[in-house]
Amino acid sequence: MPFAVLAVLFCGQAICHSQASPPPRQTPPPSRQITDEIGRTIRVPQSIHRIVSLAPNLTETIYALGLQDHLVGDTDYCDFPPEAQQKKKVGGPVNPSIEAIAALHPDLVLVTKSLNRLETVQALADIGIPSFATDPHTVHAIIASIARLADLLGASETGSALVADLEHQLSGLHDRIASFPPRRVLFIVWTEPLISIGNDTFIADALRHAGAISVIDSSQNWPQINLEEVVRLQPEFLIFVESHFGAQPHSAGDLADLPGWRLLNAVRNRRYATISDAINRPAPRLISAVEDLARQLHPEAFTEKPQNDKEEAKPPAPAMSLRSSSSFVLKDLGALSKEQSCAR
Amino acid sequence: MRPLTLRRLFLQCSLLAAILFVVVVVALKLGAVPVSLYGLGRDLISVLLHQTKALSSDYGMIVIEIRLPRILLAIVVGASLSVAGTSFQALLRNPLADPYVLGVSSGAALGAVLALVAEPHLALPLWLAALFTPFGAFLGAAATIAAVYFLGQRQGQIDSATLLLSGIISASFLSAIIMFLMTTLSGRDFRGMAFWLMGDLSSSLQASLRWVLGIGFFAAAGAIYTTAGDLNLLLAGEKEAMHLGVDVRRVRLVVYIAASILTGLAVSVSGAIGYVGLLVPHVMRLLFGSDHRTLLPTAAFGGAIALVLADTLARTVVAPSELPVGAMTAIAGAPLFIYLLRRGSA
Amino acid sequence: MSSLAQSSGWPNLGGTPRTATEVRLSVEQVSYAYSANPSQAPLFTLEANSFQARPGEIVAILGPNASGKSTLLKLIAGALAPLSGRVLLDGFVTHTLAPRARAQRIAMVQQETPLLFPARAWEFVLQGRHPYGRTLRFENEDDVLIARNALSQVGAEHLSGRWMNEISGGERQRVVLARALCQQPLLLLLDEPTLHLDIGAQVDLLATLRRLAAENRYTVVVVTHELNLAAEYADQVVLLQKGKSLRVGSPASVYQRDLLEQLFQTPLTVEKGPNGRPRVNLLPAP
Repeated sequence: MPFAVLAVLFCGQAICHSQASPPPRQTPPPSRQITDEIGRTIRVPQSIHRIVSLAPNLTETIYALGLQDHLVGDTDYCDFPPEAQQKKKVGGPVNPSIEAIAALHPDLVLVTKSLNRLETVQALADIGIPSFATDPHTVHAIIASIARLADLLGASETGSALVADLEHQLSGLHDRIASFPPRRVLFIVWTEPLISIGNDTFIADALRHAGAISVIDSSQNWPQINLEEVVRLQPEFLIFVESHFGAQPHSAGDLADLPGWRLLNAVRNRRYATISDAINRPAPRLISAVEDLARQLHPEAFTEKPQNDKEEAKPPAPAMSLRSSSSFVLKDLGALSKEQSCAR
Repeated sequence: MRPLTLRRLFLQCSLLAAILFVVVVVALKLGAVPVSLYGLGRDLISVLLHQTKALSSDYGMIVIEIRLPRILLAIVVGASLSVAGTSFQALLRNPLADPYVLGVSSGAALGAVLALVAEPHLALPLWLAALFTPFGAFLGAAATIAAVYFLGQRQGQIDSATLLLSGIISASFLSAIIMFLMTTLSGRDFRGMAFWLMGDLSSSLQASLRWVLGIGFFAAAGAIYTTAGDLNLLLAGEKEAMHLGVDVRRVRLVVYIAASILTGLAVSVSGAIGYVGLLVPHVMRLLFGSDHRTLLPTAAFGGAIALVLADTLARTVVAPSELPVGAMTAIAGAPLFIYLLRRGSA
Repeated sequence: MSSLAQSSGWPNLGGTPRTATEVRLSVEQVSYAYSANPSQAPLFTLEANSFQARPGEIVAILGPNASGKSTLLKLIAGALAPLSGRVLLDGFVTHTLAPRARAQRIAMVQQETPLLFPARAWEFVLQGRHPYGRTLRFENEDDVLIARNALSQVGAEHLSGRWMNEISGGERQRVVLARALCQQPLLLLLDEPTLHLDIGAQVDLLATLRRLAAENRYTVVVVTHELNLAAEYADQVVLLQKGKSLRVGSPASVYQRDLLEQLFQTPLTVEKGPNGRPRVNLLPAP
């Protein structure tokens, strides 16, 4: 008997679910059909006022486009710019709370293919909330993504200005380092086990723009690499990413003593480069991180000008510096170890 | 009637040692970097004579610094897991027992996760920081061993069935806690955790850790070996063993602690590599009989051979990438297990 | 106390005279109780039991199910510590002996012998030498000789190379007995050894025990519920009912009709058999 009651309730809810509709409005708003970056067709309102971002890089992009007032919710990991931390949180990118998102009545949810799950997108679609997915694999694709989002969200002017600025930065950078041969580098995601990046990642492309080339040739996105192979390849530089969220098993300072690692010329000569974790986010800040990396890898290309003279992007909202990454050029190991343990 | 003699044991072990030697040589030769046997021999001799500057090729260092330690680690871990597996199968009188059945690997994984979480908040000197995670793993393993031991008692004595059940429950519980931690702790980059779940032999160990591992292995395995004759009798039944003069309580305690130490050490440096501890004892039993006086040493050799082979495959089949070694042991182990099952010996 | 007085009245069944030898096994007022947990009342109590046995004697412990026969045997073996009283074997209190020392003096043959992994008969029998080995010792020629001898003493030499799980119940029982002999014990204990055997094998086993006891001067204690077998082969019988010993003595003195009828709750008659031993005939129920 109780099972019958439960069964009825369950079926009833399933039926209601399948007939879900957005919160009732007086008149249905004008909507349009668009295609996102992974080929899905979605229907969105003509003007989008309430946005939820499910990836830190998308949150950054929204701020860069000056649309932060439209941002009604983001993830626990959205920490840049600092104001983003004040927004309503809906959970992590992988497992956000669908209820929390629905409670915010967003017009659109922004997701990325690499960080978010299809199940989340499906669940949102089931309750009538459209999601727009981005999936850039190169730096130019990231910039194109930003332009597309700007158009989608009604900030085309700001978007164009931002894109132009970023393109200008990139081409300026390209001019500086074009004459220098690219450095062969190993980009270290994790040291134990040793994980690097694959050819198809945007990070690999970012490296190219910074005048570097990853020595690892792999079709996997995050391949686990044998240290032997790295020793055979002898990269010129090791690239570390400064992480807020916790120490790696080995910091650069330890490596000189470890068997295997100390066979690398890059370790012996302390040829390390460290960049902020902006390199991990397909967002406007990536370009600055790329430039920062280029400075570390090709210092001779930057000797004549202390700061370059490009104008900062001017979003209508509070100005956000595109150069606010906390990177620095490695001077000595001691500083590096301290930075890594202090950075939060 | 051909009872076991020291001579027969010696012959069997020599045979296996020879096989292990061949396997090690092959493993040293294979890898991302080409190595000639002659160069290899000269390099090894140079190293033994502490003349590291005289290595024959640039790649000699790769072999000595990267490959050789990894192979040695595989030997110790493989031997530890096999001996532990044999011991637990005897202790629990259950042919399906393996080193992880009592929850030790989950405890070690939890300890490692907690260590990873805590480490950034503690200002540790460099040498301690490197040891911190394995130490945490070992503490986790030890705590699990103690907890399961107390849960597995009945009327003050270890009862095999109760022990098995409490071990299984503990393993599930600990795994659940690990999952919980991994999803709720914000921002942790737990890529390294895949290492625990599948096992990985690529860690560069500090010298102190290597010593602990080596000494720990010989001490624990030696302790278990002293009870080898008793274990034979234990398999016939605990009451029988008691009537034949076995101090059942003492043997159970010694084997339980020593086998758990072996497992804890192995897991803290290389994660949870599966199938070795379960299958190698069965294969050795098929080949050399169930007398633990031969089974324990042959299982140790067998485990070493198996893991060196698996690791060599793991690091060569998709070079420059690596597969987790636990995947290789599973790929080879599962069909072997089915075969043994059908043959009726498992 | 009664056995000495009464054994002199028995016809001599051959072999060395059994009188006037020192007492080897002395069970003195031994009692035991166990309960499911310490706070509850005991589920079973074995009350004070006493008897003595000499080298070469066979003692049978008889009684219906749940009368405490196995418990008494375990107390004698030293596997359980008595609540009161003690069991002396050649002056040693059995349950205070270290396991090894105990295994060198007392050998136990149980009802079931499970084997987890396959073993050959000779491997199985060699296990009986375990109490004499140092740690990590391998068996030597002496051990092999003793094991072979044990197998021949029980008439199972031909089974030496066979797998234990392939031989019949009776043959298996003999191999288990051979293992017990390898322990070179003073006291041989058997818990319902005839349980799964056919009549021929039962008689065989008891006759073998009789012979071994006489030849090797073992003291044998057998738990059984086979009335006639016990009467035929035992020198002493201990009759148990619900934990109390009803009577201890020679078969003739113990096999009284009213006593047995009360014990087994079934009508029977007792008559004298062809060689002077009592024989019990069960009567059909009225």
